[in-house]
Amino acid sequence: MNIAFGRLANNTIGVLCLIFMVAPLFLVVLFSFGSSSLMTFPMAGFTLDWYRALVSREDFWSALENSAIITGSVGVLATAIGTTAAMVIARMRPKQSATAFFLFGLPMMMPPLVLALALLSLFSVLGVKLSLITVVLAHLTFTMPFVILIVTARLRDFDYTMIDSARDLGASPAKTFFTVTFPLIRPTLFGAALIAMALSLDDFVITFFLIGGGNTLPTLVWGMLRTGLDPSINALGTLILLLTIGSSAVALRLTRYRG
Amino acid sequence: MNVATPLSAGRNGALILPAVAVLAGLFIGPMIYFLIVSFFKVSLFKIVPAFDLGNYAKVLGAYGVPILFTMAISFLIASITTVLAFVVAHLIWTRGRGFSGFLLAATLLTLFGGYLVKIYAWRTLLGRDGIVNNTLVGLGIVREPIEALLYSPIAVVLVLVSYLLPFAILPLYGALRSIETKTIEAARDLGASPWVAVRDAVLPRCVPALVTAFALCFLVTAGDYVTPRMVGGTQTMMMGNFIESQFGLRMNVPLGAAMTYLTIIVSVAVISLVWIALKTVLRPK
Repeated sequence: MNIAFGRLANNTIGVLCLIFMVAPLFLVVLFSFGSSSLMTFPMAGFTLDWYRALVSREDFWSALENSAIITGSVGVLATAIGTTAAMVIARMRPKQSATAFFLFGLPMMMPPLVLALALLSLFSVLGVKLSLITVVLAHLTFTMPFVILIVTARLRDFDYTMIDSARDLGASPAKTFFTVTFPLIRPTLFGAALIAMALSLDDFVITFFLIGGGNTLPTLVWGMLRTGLDPSINALGTLILLLTIGSSAVALRLTRYRG
Repeated sequence: MNVATPLSAGRNGALILPAVAVLAGLFIGPMIYFLIVSFFKVSLFKIVPAFDLGNYAKVLGAYGVPILFTMAISFLIASITTVLAFVVAHLIWTRGRGFSGFLLAATLLTLFGGYLVKIYAWRTLLGRDGIVNNTLVGLGIVREPIEALLYSPIAVVLVLVSYLLPFAILPLYGALRSIETKTIEAARDLGASPWVAVRDAVLPRCVPALVTAFALCFLVTAGDYVTPRMVGGTQTMMMGNFIESQFGLRMNVPLGAAMTYLTIIVSVAVISLVWIALKTVLRPK
């Protein structure tokens, strides 16, 4: 009796947490197609007006362009730098690699506001001009740990005899990497890049402080939130969710990463 | 096992250097500079090197209440999130494919996107004409819409718990997966009730993950300024808001840096106490 009750209570908490995590996002998507400007039930009707309003804004296209540039650069750089690090960490003893994970993971633990302000003050004292580049550099710090985690996990169950055979047969380290290692871990790298891109695309706080001028998609949302109730926010929010959640869904399939 | 053979062992250790450069140049370096600046002074709108604890004394004197409030709400949010996350992670670990698959998918997918979108969605959900109030009035649970749902500390707790849940579930699920089910079966065979088995055999093995989840939620909350500003109303001023304002109009970087470090130091102290408490209470039996 008691056991059944406990089980029921736990399941209820699970369902509530599930609703709690998913419902807000689901409602944004739902109401981006609703013809009323208020998010209330029952929905008045179906419309694509908010999407039309969104794509007719000039600042939407420049924000999309900036987001694409930042996200693309972060994806490539974080994956390249994170993968080379993972190749070393995967061969460390357990204690050493735990330390490496801890150190590289530190930026993930830091609130984005702190990361942004520390970088902002350093850039300003060094005379570095704020631009998309400073945003990309800042994004590397908190996207790289995810790449390192995912790629190290893949390299751990990697058959190193293949590399050694290639080397025995006279291939240079670089040739071995591009003809043996890379093709084998390609799906994982692609997945890791998508995770890095999703995190970068979603960042608001760091981008806001370090971009200098212009908008990305999240800072555009912020601007729209401050100017009042604009249902196009639902459409823009849906677009951001589609890009971030879509790419992480693909990534999780590719990497089979489960936490 | 990947026992490295001599040919492939340790030859390319230098490959880690770019990542070290990113960590050192873009994280550790700026954090150290920020610490040094926290001892500097501002005079005539310029930052002047100085080495005294003036900024810290000022923060302690003028922001004592906000610091306490920030610590209290961070503790509350981190505790609620960690407890709920453990229940969900435990469900994912123990339940059959369908339900646990749903939970895991929701966790992983909501992890990687929608920070501002989530806050915005909650704002419309909790508003006077929002879905929550409409439902409560419609069901006759309350007569008038509850104004205090939005623009109150309650809203900050709701929004941040919902935002942080996936971040807390993952480390806990990872820890649970590495526990051998034999341990639990043994405990149950010896007559332990499910709850006792969880308390004596499962939870003690999750202490590092519990602390990780708690620390992550605590630090993110302590440093957040967007959520309190968007849904917290005027009476919910957290340290993040005060820190942020030092970099806007007021432009007092040294004071802002001192606020940041004081918040981090107090946060780390609270997290350490929680760690010690968990280690003492959750001892394997």
